[in-house]
Amino acid sequence: MSEVIIKGLKKVYEGGVTAVHDVNLDIADKEFIVLVGPSGCGKSTTLRMVAGLEDITDGELYIDGKLCNNVEPKDRDIAMVFQSYALYPHMTVYDNMAFALKLKKVPKPEIDKKVREVAEILDITQYLDRKPKALSGGQRQRVAIGRAMVRDPKVFLMDEPLSNLDAKLRNQMRAEIIKLRSRINTTFMYVTHDQTEAMTLGDRIVIMKDGFVNQIGTPGEVFDKPVNLFVAGFIGMPVMNFFDNCKLVLDGGVYYAEIRGARFKLDEFQQKALKQNNQQSCDIVAGIRPQHISVGQGDLEAKIVVNEMMGSEVHLHADSNGDEVVMVIPTVDLKTDVSMGATVKFTTQPKLIQLFDKASGNNLIWYDKASADACAPVCKNYIF
Amino acid sequence: MRRQSMSKALVRRETISGYLFLLPSLIFFVGFVVYPMIMCVYTSFFDATMGKDRQDIFIGLQNYKDLFKDPAFLKALKNTLVIVIVSVPVTCAFSLWVSSAIYKMRGPIRSAFRCIFYLPVVTGSVAVTVVWKWMYNNYYGIFNYVGKGLGLIEKNINWLGDERFALGCIILILLTTSVGQPIVLYVSALGNVDHSLVEASQVDGANDMQVFWRIKWPQIMPTTLYILVITTINSFQCFALIQLLTSGGPNHSTDTIMYYIYYQAFKLYHYGYGNAMGVILAIIIAIFSAVQFKLAKADTSY
Repeated sequence: MSEVIIKGLKKVYEGGVTAVHDVNLDIADKEFIVLVGPSGCGKSTTLRMVAGLEDITDGELYIDGKLCNNVEPKDRDIAMVFQSYALYPHMTVYDNMAFALKLKKVPKPEIDKKVREVAEILDITQYLDRKPKALSGGQRQRVAIGRAMVRDPKVFLMDEPLSNLDAKLRNQMRAEIIKLRSRINTTFMYVTHDQTEAMTLGDRIVIMKDGFVNQIGTPGEVFDKPVNLFVAGFIGMPVMNFFDNCKLVLDGGVYYAEIRGARFKLDEFQQKALKQNNQQSCDIVAGIRPQHISVGQGDLEAKIVVNEMMGSEVHLHADSNGDEVVMVIPTVDLKTDVSMGATVKFTTQPKLIQLFDKASGNNLIWYDKASADACAPVCKNYIF
Repeated sequence: MRRQSMSKALVRRETISGYLFLLPSLIFFVGFVVYPMIMCVYTSFFDATMGKDRQDIFIGLQNYKDLFKDPAFLKALKNTLVIVIVSVPVTCAFSLWVSSAIYKMRGPIRSAFRCIFYLPVVTGSVAVTVVWKWMYNNYYGIFNYVGKGLGLIEKNINWLGDERFALGCIILILLTTSVGQPIVLYVSALGNVDHSLVEASQVDGANDMQVFWRIKWPQIMPTTLYILVITTINSFQCFALIQLLTSGGPNHSTDTIMYYIYYQAFKLYHYGYGNAMGVILAIIIAIFSAVQFKLAKADTSY
């Protein structure tokens, strides 16, 4: 029940390695925020600084309005679920869950009531007398979450809690976390390297790389308005198609994107945003999501290399004059021959083309968010 | 599964080569451990003199009966128990304390501490003992010198020659030589405690003491058990110190069973009698170890 404010957070390890540079983040009360990025991006370090398990080199951390830089973890009133679960092996499940309450000297009957209540929610009542060793991975995961839940913490931290589970269990637990969230009703910080988890769980997503925050936004925003090449490539499955060495052309006051000789007249909002930035013609990397490609007509051409039938949609891996292009086509829309070896024409809608400056990798429209939002259309229907 | 699919000849060959690899150490084990053990039990039923003067005579349990009427043995037994009861807990507690202070230090500093405490273990016990003997010396020993200098004692004390102090002095030396191994073991055990457990308990609201006793202590229980057992056995078998410093005196006040066995068997040639004591000592150690295992097992069963 509290907000977390992070100002200019920085972590330099002994030996001079900077793990986190200048993270700024305002997490609202009861918000579910997901930190996502490849390994080594500083997301876990950031979380551990919030938990108090790492010293803060520079910057400020406020939990519930209170400066917490030098507050011991035990006094921060946070709960954390660890990647390894970190269940106390010498205690039973019951004692694991009761541990924090016992330390707080909560009366026994109250502890008992709370533990049993949470165990009921998580469906682990029958395992309360067991030691963690006698549990499966999924059950241990539940106990770890239960141990955090009994606390009613101000902030609920989760450090890659699902990464030790197999794919099926992971999907199941992900759904359960979404369900749990409505019951627990507190502020969440969740670290993962899995973009699917980030997209499905987060109210907002913080995308980090090399210790820097690249973008903070709702799942819709980071999907539709990636600020740079990294975010565009990291979010979305399959990965966005990038066409290197393309051109943004300003011709008679109108902007066009030139992709492999095909010329796309950009959409109204793109025109406006580019004009506002006084953008000149330049070299760009054009990004098109696999879901945003339609086949059968258009100025671009590709030869199908692999055809993966997924049921409701078909994933096509194609070769377009040296560019590898992935397309996701809903099966119902399929009217063209897309068997392996076939050559197809394809295109996209100009408004769905992401334009990245070749030199900096930044999105020409969305990088400067303030000016972009002024020109932005209402968010489209997201396709995941 | 794999064995079933192997041919019989192959299984046989594997078995044979397995035993061949075991053979060298097996020979030593049987020759120097198993055979002497059996001989020890066997001769304890004889009035044996190792062939000196006369043949061994079978006397049944007479040696054992005599033992418990021998005041010197009973005194040695008492001394041994005092040594064990004092030195085992002190060794464990002290080494745990030192280890928990040094295990988080940086590599070189930690190594330096480990070296210091381990030095008496690797130094020859004769050398260590000679130094201590010199420090305890009645006339020019440093203890008397410092004690008088600080005004703690009025006149020189003959530390090792005084019944009141001799056993305590022995125990002190024993402590210095026995904390090395436990410290090294504890340092590595504490270093191996899963750090995420410690972090989890910190987040759960535990202070440093609670983290130690609720999380780390149960985690290092197997090491504690091992240390208890080896320290107990070492204390029971305290011998070289006694032989070099006091030879059991004054007035048997520093006799231990181990020393008394040596004294009876090799000084007085009461070979069978000494072996009977050896058997008793082995039984006592076995009982102690079993109890320690039982007690600690209750805590480590995960």
